[in-house]
Amino acid sequence: MKKVAVIDTKAGNLFSIFSCVRRIGFEPELIQSAEQISQKEFVAMIIPGQGRFGTVMSNLRSSQLDKVIIDWYQSDKKIIGICVGMQIFFEWSAEDLDNDGLGIRGLGLVKGTVTKLKSPKQPMVGWCEIDASISLLQQKTVYFVNSYAVKSSENEIATTYYGEQFVAAIQSKGLMAFQFHPEKSGSQGEEILQQCLTQ
Amino acid sequence: MSNSINRLKPRVIVCLDVANGRVVKGVNFKGLKDMGDPVELALRYQQQGADEIVFLDIKATRENRSNALQTVTEVAKNLSIPFTVGGGLNSYKDVSDFLNAGADKVALNSAAVNNPDLINQISLGFGSQSLVVAVDLDKKINGDYKVFINGGHKETDLEPFRWLTEIQQRGAGEVLLTAMHKDGTGTGFDNDLMQKISRQLSIQVIASGGAAIPEHFVDTFNAGSDAALAAGMFHRGEFSVEQVKQELLKNNIEVRVC
Repeated sequence: MKKVAVIDTKAGNLFSIFSCVRRIGFEPELIQSAEQISQKEFVAMIIPGQGRFGTVMSNLRSSQLDKVIIDWYQSDKKIIGICVGMQIFFEWSAEDLDNDGLGIRGLGLVKGTVTKLKSPKQPMVGWCEIDASISLLQQKTVYFVNSYAVKSSENEIATTYYGEQFVAAIQSKGLMAFQFHPEKSGSQGEEILQQCLTQ
Repeated sequence: MSNSINRLKPRVIVCLDVANGRVVKGVNFKGLKDMGDPVELALRYQQQGADEIVFLDIKATRENRSNALQTVTEVAKNLSIPFTVGGGLNSYKDVSDFLNAGADKVALNSAAVNNPDLINQISLGFGSQSLVVAVDLDKKINGDYKVFINGGHKETDLEPFRWLTEIQQRGAGEVLLTAMHKDGTGTGFDNDLMQKISRQLSIQVIASGGAAIPEHFVDTFNAGSDAALAAGMFHRGEFSVEQVKQELLKNNIEVRVC
């Protein structure tokens, strides 16, 4: 069975993403170190969508998995980012503040920033239809859980609206990333993930 | 790209009562009737188009805790929509155990009243999105609302509207608001209450208690409820989630179809 590398961000429960990857016919493996990723053949890397931006970034830096992600991205390999796992590819986020009272820096591989979503109810929890420029995401209704979002990006391939417009998905090199949770979006979500891993 | 219309869809939520790893239905207070396997039933409702499932462990005790956690893990392996687990969660450790077993959210009821700081702790530790606080209200003859705990058995002297605001301030992600005086009546949700609370709060309000026909969902969403929960009308096979959603669409309420 084809293996998928799931990066351990140590910031939440990875049960849903593991279960979903298995349901769509792939074998997930938890990646906790740089060595681990070079030992096997992986068809893709997934950055899961659990936890706060600041926690995820500082855990990635201390495990040096940030470098693994950057290398993987630079060599045009397939990466799937989910929720905070999409947000960390941007320059910085206002979700957490560093010692200087500024936002936390992300990987900075994609231009743009993560800011608070001015939504009618917070946190945003629930299903939205997205407007997409690629057929894979067209006419999909998917599950969002977030209070922060990227309002626009050169790399956006889907957007939606809740209080204001924000980015629902981006694509850059081998990276396809979602603000929503495909692993919690029913059969439509499974189809999106499966297509991403198969294409 | 997107036009300026809020896309968030009102959610139709199915509630399953669980005891000792089986879905049950209460029969005249005493015997519990076995309704089937939680995974199978949850998958059936997922198939029908349920947006979320809530599992309430109605006989939650320390003794059958590992049993309950196992059920949660089985559900998490198979379900591809979000689910919430409630019933008998009393401590941070309880919450942590259930989230680690695979639940997307936990629902606190009596524990939130007995130890309100728990709301803050869970919200800080796991994020407000993982916490639903359930509030059971009963309407008295004089029109006043009272907050009840312990499965509706114990009245508290909390001021309901202040308590609901406090829940939000302490970091709950959503409130599951049950109108006890409507529960089991089949006369629809308490929409005056739902309208008032969903306007008052900046977190989402899940309406509960009283649903028996698809039109009841239309009424409560028109009143402003962000989500609505029902059990009996689905379990008794009177209506499917699909039928509820068809009725909502017919009334121009945009819900998710799958």
